Amino acid sequence: MQLTEDNIYRSSSQFRNWSFTPAKLAAQRQTTNIQASERVKAAFARQRAQRARQPDTASASESERGNGSGIDTGSNTPIPVTNPADVNCLTVAEEMKLVDSFCERTLELGKFLKFPIEVTATAIQFLRRFYLVNSPMTYEPQTISRSTMYLSTKVECHHRPAADYAAMLTKTTPESVIAPEYLIVQGLRFTFDVKHPFRGLKGGHLELMEMARGNAAPTPHNTQTPAELQKAMQALPKKAGEPPSHLSAADLEKRITHAYTLASDTLKSVALLTDAYFLYTPSQIWLAAHLLADEPLTAFYLSTKIPTSSPMYPKLLSRLNACAELLSSHRKFASQGTSEEEKKAREERDKKEVSALMKKLKQCRDPDKLDLVKLNQAQKRDALNADGQLEESKAKRRKMDRDALKKEEGDFWGPELPSRNGEKA
Amino acid sequence: MSTKAGLRAGDGAKDGGASPLSKSLYNLSIQQPSSSSSMSRADTTSDICPVCKSSRYLNPNMQFLLNPECYHKMCESCVDRIFSHGPAPCPIAGCRRTLRKVKFRKITFEDLKVEREVDIRKRVARVLNKQLSDFETLRDYNDYLETAEEVTWNLILGVDVEATNRKLQLWEDSQKAERNPNAVKRSFQADSSTTSDGSHGVVLKKGGTQRKAMASSSGNTPDPSASLDEAFLETGFAFKGLKKYVPPPPEKPFDPYGGWSVKPQLYTLRGDYDVEWLTKVKDDPSHVAGGYDMHEFYSRALCEAFGGLGVFIDEEIPARENQSSGNAVIGTQTAAAAATGAKDVNMDDVF
Repeated sequence: MQLTEDNIYRSSSQFRNWSFTPAKLAAQRQTTNIQASERVKAAFARQRAQRARQPDTASASESERGNGSGIDTGSNTPIPVTNPADVNCLTVAEEMKLVDSFCERTLELGKFLKFPIEVTATAIQFLRRFYLVNSPMTYEPQTISRSTMYLSTKVECHHRPAADYAAMLTKTTPESVIAPEYLIVQGLRFTFDVKHPFRGLKGGHLELMEMARGNAAPTPHNTQTPAELQKAMQALPKKAGEPPSHLSAADLEKRITHAYTLASDTLKSVALLTDAYFLYTPSQIWLAAHLLADEPLTAFYLSTKIPTSSPMYPKLLSRLNACAELLSSHRKFASQGTSEEEKKAREERDKKEVSALMKKLKQCRDPDKLDLVKLNQAQKRDALNADGQLEESKAKRRKMDRDALKKEEGDFWGPELPSRNGEKA
Repeated sequence: MSTKAGLRAGDGAKDGGASPLSKSLYNLSIQQPSSSSSMSRADTTSDICPVCKSSRYLNPNMQFLLNPECYHKMCESCVDRIFSHGPAPCPIAGCRRTLRKVKFRKITFEDLKVEREVDIRKRVARVLNKQLSDFETLRDYNDYLETAEEVTWNLILGVDVEATNRKLQLWEDSQKAERNPNAVKRSFQADSSTTSDGSHGVVLKKGGTQRKAMASSSGNTPDPSASLDEAFLETGFAFKGLKKYVPPPPEKPFDPYGGWSVKPQLYTLRGDYDVEWLTKVKDDPSHVAGGYDMHEFYSRALCEAFGGLGVFIDEEIPARENQSSGNAVIGTQTAAAAATGAKDVNMDDVF
């Protein structure tokens, strides 16, 4: 009864629940988008019908709507209730764009809060997973992203009390951080484990360094001696297609470390912002990042693991190349080709697009889900009313119970035990 | 005894049935004779203590006890009165056995013969406890059962009691030795206090050493050395067709993984790795003191480096879905069609 590394990965929830083929991923997003649009349209239709019935109170409910969520505070102009057929819902691509931009913001938030990269990375993946089954039209990405960050501090053992966490952010209360938490957890299907490629990259780096020093550990497929491997490694070309080089041992180590640094940067930024986690396994992701950093070295390393003659090798290499392409296609990927101005212009364009989308989102938010805090309060057993007080009848009953208990405490045998059917015997 | 019993009865009367327990007990003892008037004669004899002649009519809380030594019953207060100062002879006329208070117990069956038979059967069953699976054939098992029954009836009817008792003891000891070879072998001594109806005198624990010589000289208790020899002669617990006892294999140490282990395909773990960014952690005494083992990190890092390298999501996930649903590819169109119809399939909503 023996397990391989692949078996272990197959048992993870990331593989079981959160791995998709590209077609399946697109279908899932489509489904979510359609459901959310239907819901928004239905909500608008309901609101319209309600307003048609009582035209006097229309303005009041509108101002209430404006106060509902943090995002609407800036523009308090009453939104005219449009015909439900005219509601301009976000498309799938627009939703994706929004979620991507909020993933970037989360990355920056993590940097700003000085959280470890694992926390930020987990938060981003939670956000991406959550918006696979929910739409930004239903739940506002700003609050959700803050809440996922809080959730991932707990998941990644970097605990922060909600009050402390909220104090670090502007326009955030502990309640607003906690309110969507259960919602997010439901969206995540209660799977908290996110397998990151960071540690895998470290493991690969360890092996490469040992290999460069001439004491590679033997693998079943490899017949070369450690010394031969070291020699072959030193003779690797600097780039694919170039003539072989002859590096000294120290230079080789430098090269490996450089590749590690580059790959690590890729993993910590671009890999998080793409769909790589849904489409590839962590070990494929880190090897793809390494491939981007140093292609000949990675190809050589892979060939020591899997013989180039086996059918597995070209198959795996094609996946790695596809993954590398996905990573390098991202706007943030720092490739040498683009100039500073072009990058800046790209950022500028992106910013404009996102702000336009945010405006559009404001028009098509689901009116039922504007105030998550209030909804969450209503869910709770002892819902507090507007003044932060319990309901009057409940408070009265509590007080009576408490008084009765206090009176009976003086008895020799203590207070009466509560009988099964709730009334006193 | 009578004072005590009287006190108890008085207590009940004084209470006037205040305590529910005493009340129900009282009712129980009152109602019992009246409900079975036809058996009133049998009841009156069974409800009168043969020693002090006090009846349950006067003392509703009376309880009868017996001693498995001679199976004579007497009431609780008689036992208290006679035996509280140490062993004493049985007060029943004609029975001169020495009884001790600790051995008295409550009566389970009305018929004392049944009581005694149950005791004997218990004792025999403790020794002769083989099952059908322990024998090679059904025939052998039946023979064995017959032997057991024979032993039982010998003891019940008092036929050849000495030899039977010795045989039982022998079997018991041989089984004990088989199951637990480390146990110190006792010398085979038929303790007469355990035999129920031997005709010889009683050996008390206190005076056992003094009286043993007398008892053995009278021929009732067999000589220990002689019985030992006999044990070898009779070769202990021997029945035809009885399978040899195989002790169960010793339990293996607990394995939390249930026999599973990880056998990496793509890497071999080395004892140590030397990388610049690890030296700080390695040399940090606060890590070492806490019991942190670098090997854990190495094995985890390498396992994560290659875990899932051979897992091709674009192949395995459709294959898995094919298996589970039989529906190959759910295209965008079909998904869209499904989404417009269905309400909340993928959107769990707490609110």
